Amino acid sequence: MDPGKFLLFTMAGLSEAAFLFIVAAGLSLVFGALRVINMAHGSLYMVAAFVTAVVAAQMGAVVGFWSGLLAAVVVAGALGAVIEIVVLKRVYQAEHLYQLLGTYALTLIIAGGVRYFFGANFRTISPPDFLNGSVSLLGGSYSVYSFFMIGAALTIGGGLWLMLYRSPLGRNIRAAVSDPVLLNATGVNVSRLYTVVFMIGAILAGLGGVLVAPSQVVSLDMDTNVLVLAFAISVIGGLGSIVGSLVGALIVGLIESFGVSNHYTAHLSIAFVFIVMAVVLTVRPSGLFGRPEP
Amino acid sequence: MTGLLSLLPARLGDRARWAGAAVFVLLALALPPLASFLEQVNPDSSARFTIFLGTGVMVLTLWAVSYNLMLGYTGLVSFAHAAYYGIGAYTVAIFYTKTHGGPLLVGLALAPVVSVVLGFVTGLVALRAVRLYFSLLTLAISQLLFAIATQWYDVTGGDNGLHGLTPPDVLSDYAPMYYFVAASVLVCLLLMFVIVRSPFGAALQAIRENRDRAASVGINVKAYELAVFTVASMFAGVAGGLYAFYQQEAFPQMLFWTSNADPVIVALLGGIQSFLGPAIGAIVLTVLRNYLSKNFSQYVDVVLGAIVLALVLLAPGGLVSLPQLFVRLRNQFRRGEPVTQVEESAGEAIRMLDVQKAVEAEAIQAAAIETGAVLLRLEGLSKRFGGLRAVEDVTLEVRQGDRHAIIGPNGAGKSTLFNLLTGRLKPTSGRVWFDGRDITGKPVHVIAKAGIGRAFQITSIFPRLTVRENLQYAMLAHRGRTRRPVGIANRIYRDEAMTLLEAVGLGGYADLPAGQLSHGDQRAIELAISLALGSKLILLDEPTAGMSAFETQKAMELVRRIATERKLTLLFCEHDMEVVFGTARTVTVMHQGRILTEGTPEQVRRNPEVQKIYLGELEMEEVTA
Repeated sequence: MDPGKFLLFTMAGLSEAAFLFIVAAGLSLVFGALRVINMAHGSLYMVAAFVTAVVAAQMGAVVGFWSGLLAAVVVAGALGAVIEIVVLKRVYQAEHLYQLLGTYALTLIIAGGVRYFFGANFRTISPPDFLNGSVSLLGGSYSVYSFFMIGAALTIGGGLWLMLYRSPLGRNIRAAVSDPVLLNATGVNVSRLYTVVFMIGAILAGLGGVLVAPSQVVSLDMDTNVLVLAFAISVIGGLGSIVGSLVGALIVGLIESFGVSNHYTAHLSIAFVFIVMAVVLTVRPSGLFGRPEP
Repeated sequence: MTGLLSLLPARLGDRARWAGAAVFVLLALALPPLASFLEQVNPDSSARFTIFLGTGVMVLTLWAVSYNLMLGYTGLVSFAHAAYYGIGAYTVAIFYTKTHGGPLLVGLALAPVVSVVLGFVTGLVALRAVRLYFSLLTLAISQLLFAIATQWYDVTGGDNGLHGLTPPDVLSDYAPMYYFVAASVLVCLLLMFVIVRSPFGAALQAIRENRDRAASVGINVKAYELAVFTVASMFAGVAGGLYAFYQQEAFPQMLFWTSNADPVIVALLGGIQSFLGPAIGAIVLTVLRNYLSKNFSQYVDVVLGAIVLALVLLAPGGLVSLPQLFVRLRNQFRRGEPVTQVEESAGEAIRMLDVQKAVEAEAIQAAAIETGAVLLRLEGLSKRFGGLRAVEDVTLEVRQGDRHAIIGPNGAGKSTLFNLLTGRLKPTSGRVWFDGRDITGKPVHVIAKAGIGRAFQITSIFPRLTVRENLQYAMLAHRGRTRRPVGIANRIYRDEAMTLLEAVGLGGYADLPAGQLSHGDQRAIELAISLALGSKLILLDEPTAGMSAFETQKAMELVRRIATERKLTLLFCEHDMEVVFGTARTVTVMHQGRILTEGTPEQVRRNPEVQKIYLGELEMEEVTA
């Protein structure tokens, strides 16, 4: 493979890794603190993408994308709060089977809601004007938006890290991960903290959906597609680990992109992802950066 | 309304279950004539279509009950079950196309063979992980198989799947086809019913209730999980094969991970704690989906989602639990306040201990070995966690018939040492000899079978099994009988278990779920399990934590006398010094992972170093307080 092509596929892999990282980080954060696998995580991502597309179409080329972003974040956060309060609070004590089933039911309901509000047709939006276009590099042409996606993912990842390790909220979240009962006894409202954590997770899913909207088609099947990949990433990297999400997203993004690069492997790139996942779990049952479940 | 409700029995008994099964079988047999009758009464309903739906219900029931072997009986959530179902269907379809219209019955016979082989191989991989990670690994496997099904055009027909399979002439009409499918399904259901009632099924339920405890009564958890995963795959293969047989097609979407929603919803709808609950679920789902897709085809999934959500939040026991739910509501309505149906014990077991009877109980079958021989020997045992030396170079001998206490301040390494002995942790270096065998680093279930039992741990029982089943299943596992997939587990060792329960004062609670008993009584169950297992060495980890002074005295009296009379050996750690010095013959003191000293209680009590570390701990506590 010549260097130009190599760079092209690397870039494609990185921009794929960018939004996958944001989505998977949200899934992982929620699992780390709440010990719940949120099957509806992909649905929040899909809702945000649709909201962005609709609002952007209404608001025009200049502020469209940004107002879409704002609206999507608000909707995803609010939806997250409702889900946590109405559904999750009632199944924390139940076996994880009921948590899986409860959130799975939400994916069905939300998919129906999206179909009802936005219709069954796919939508497309273009990036904001100043990100629309491409640059030439080593004989290849790269869209400016893919650089923006990578930058945005790094910024969001950095912000997440600052929030977790440099803020009082992050301190509480980390304390809740290791001992929620003790944290509660020190006067922190753990129940409300859980709502906040879930909202942050939902917003991350939403941001992933917003970022991806201008680069892909916004359609009704994007919820399960991204969910399966986010699972794979979380499992490869280790559930509950943000660094693990980053590494996992890079692995999955690059496998997908280089898988497509070759005619023989093009249809099987998704299979490679799952082979890597199975190999990682066989060797390290808690993922690359995960800690074993107690 | 309340009048109607009062007709319901207070609790669904065995009779109600048998009646349910009988109704299901009769309904299954009578469906074709019923459908014709329906057509005459209501010309809008087509008898053929009703029979066709009924065939679907049968296949779905089989698929869901096979899923429930894992979900409801073993507690495994798999996302790969649809894949084995799909593989069953593809086996039939591929056989048909590759042999250019070969007999479908041969393909159908091959379906379970192919799916059982694939289930076993992929199960080996998936069961490397536990719980949630297991679920996600099955997701990976299922997506892999799905990718193969969509991409391997030459064999699977790719995205389109394979269509137009022609069944044999005798089965070409709806009713014969229905009877053929229904008979196959009923045979499979019967086989699965035998399995879940057998000692093998008992081991599965023990695993569902408490994985760790199951291992510590001698069950090789991974092996049983693999076995049930493989068996479930086989029956899923039959279900898928039957699907291809009557629908005359196989397509990739059957393998997609979201297809697992069907058996899961059906099992949950009917009730995962009941064997035939999924049959009710299958009927409801099929009728509902048929109605919805006629009238609101866009929103089938939304309604199904809402139903699942409602079940999860309001009635996790499924439809078969509704009578109980109604009874509870009725009682609430009548008395104007919520009434829980839970009968609770009040810690009587320990209080009413009849020590003599317990000692005589037949289930205690420890082999007599003369006092003095070394039963357990630790040689230079060490365990490090990174830089932390939790246990450092411990050499210790426990003699047959001794009552040996290990004491030491918090963090001395007592719990780590116990975990090394039972196989929960693997030592960094050193050896463990038990009864002349090297058991260093052996898995939990092997050590349990060798004769080391543990009791009075932070209660570790099988909460939803009855008190008697707790004992029976533990005995079955320990005596190596859970490999048998036939026979009725509930009837084996019944008397032995009852004798033992009477002895520890739990006779009256034999049929209650163990989780409903008080804390003290749950510990009595634990002790009874250890006795039932006939362990030679019993490890007691803080046996009296959380007990009143009176309960403590009684419990230790039982432990002491049983140990003496039966020449059992006890190794225990305990914070209550009164218990230690009142029970132990030998005391080992640990401090910071090492052995500080060992001797008779009197020697240890007078040891100035021991006094110092305990005093030191006291001072530390004062400082931090």
